[in-house]
Amino acid sequence: MISVKDLRKSFGSNEVLKGISNEIKEREVVVVIGPSGSGKSTFLRCLNGLEKATSGTIVVAGMELTNPKTDITKLRQRVGMVFQRFNLFHHLTVLDNITIGPRKVLGKSREESEALARQLLAKVGLKDKESSYPDELSGGQQQRVAIARALAMKPDVMLFDEPTSALDPEMVGEVLQVMKDLAREGMTMVVVTHEMGFAREVGDRVIFMDDGVIVEEGTPEQIFSNAKEPRTKAFLSKIL
Amino acid sequence: MDTITSSLPQLLQGLWHTIGYSLLAIVLATIIGLIAALMKLSKFWPWKAISTVYVELFRGTPLLVQLFFIVFGLPGAFPVLNQIFGPKSYPFIGAAAGLALNEGAYITEIVRAGILGVDRGQREAAESIGMTPFQTMRYIILPQAFKRMIPPLVNQFAQTIKDTSLLAPIGILELMYQGQIIVSENFEGFAIYGTVAILYFIIIFIITRMAGYLERRLQIDKR
Repeated sequence: MISVKDLRKSFGSNEVLKGISNEIKEREVVVVIGPSGSGKSTFLRCLNGLEKATSGTIVVAGMELTNPKTDITKLRQRVGMVFQRFNLFHHLTVLDNITIGPRKVLGKSREESEALARQLLAKVGLKDKESSYPDELSGGQQQRVAIARALAMKPDVMLFDEPTSALDPEMVGEVLQVMKDLAREGMTMVVVTHEMGFAREVGDRVIFMDDGVIVEEGTPEQIFSNAKEPRTKAFLSKIL
Repeated sequence: MDTITSSLPQLLQGLWHTIGYSLLAIVLATIIGLIAALMKLSKFWPWKAISTVYVELFRGTPLLVQLFFIVFGLPGAFPVLNQIFGPKSYPFIGAAAGLALNEGAYITEIVRAGILGVDRGQREAAESIGMTPFQTMRYIILPQAFKRMIPPLVNQFAQTIKDTSLLAPIGILELMYQGQIIVSENFEGFAIYGTVAILYFIIIFIITRMAGYLERRLQIDKR
């Protein structure tokens, strides 16, 4: 589903990603962990072109993102993204936040888009909030709407960029639950997170990044109980 | 009082011209300002350069000089202007264009600041669902930028109305010029110019009140 070869990314003279290669299979849930500044968010943002790779190749859903001829908007329609700070459209109601993509980007009718949006709202447990504005919702509710907004595009892959980091502790659970349901349904997911419980329970594979490289990867069991690299051990001992 | 009532019809005639030129200039300047702001924010450097030069030129020179240059200067160097618009109508068109270009330069900066004031995450979210840069601007950025642009825009519209008085020296029969003509006949400067000022004040007052109402409504409807 996603194939990354020798991905490098620099901001000015600062190289943030120093040669990342990885294959992510369909229906796989990959959790990326690592200290802040390790490049894990930048890696995720490269996967839908929000950050432009400096060199290397990225192929997502059969489209080569790093080829300048690829229509990046077409690719993004297939790749959903959930942000740390939700980034809901403040001027639109919950329902319009979810339908604007299907309507304007995919050209679907209002009726069809609204029916789908209501289905998705029920799924994330926010049936009664469709006419609210984002600023009237709690952080957890906003993030669930943001997940519904991404799902409305019927993506092949979902990217999560620290989706619970901006939430109050009591709201983390409701967002993780929605993500767990998604994983169970077979969605291909790449999740950057600090929620080790989620990684352990839902992840098929855990990638540990530090200083712009993948230091170690493996099943949650391998990483959390039998880490081989000293850097992985040091990181895990600090947060577990 | 008699002087005012007897000259009121002529002043009101001028007032209509003032309103007409103001409306025309505001509409054109808003369109110009929107286009120039988008050019200035473009990554394509020639657009950026053209827009920057335009804004600096029109904000860096007096409006009155710009009006004289466009209305009396340009046709001498480019007689084709008189051929296209006719020597009789060119001054009116030139006056409107000059005013619109001048106000447009200020509106460019207002629109630009409004767009830049919208959180970067909004653009990223729009792009992440596959919106093109145009769709992102049209459906996500501009609607949010517009709300924060209302107060400075209204300010600029009020300024535009006041600036139409500078059309008097180039012979446009708007409110100020009508006032001057009346005073040159009856020498009642206090009464006439006072009335002229009150008339300007009334239209600007109405506009700022309407804008305040609009702003409050948007605050309630859409947060």
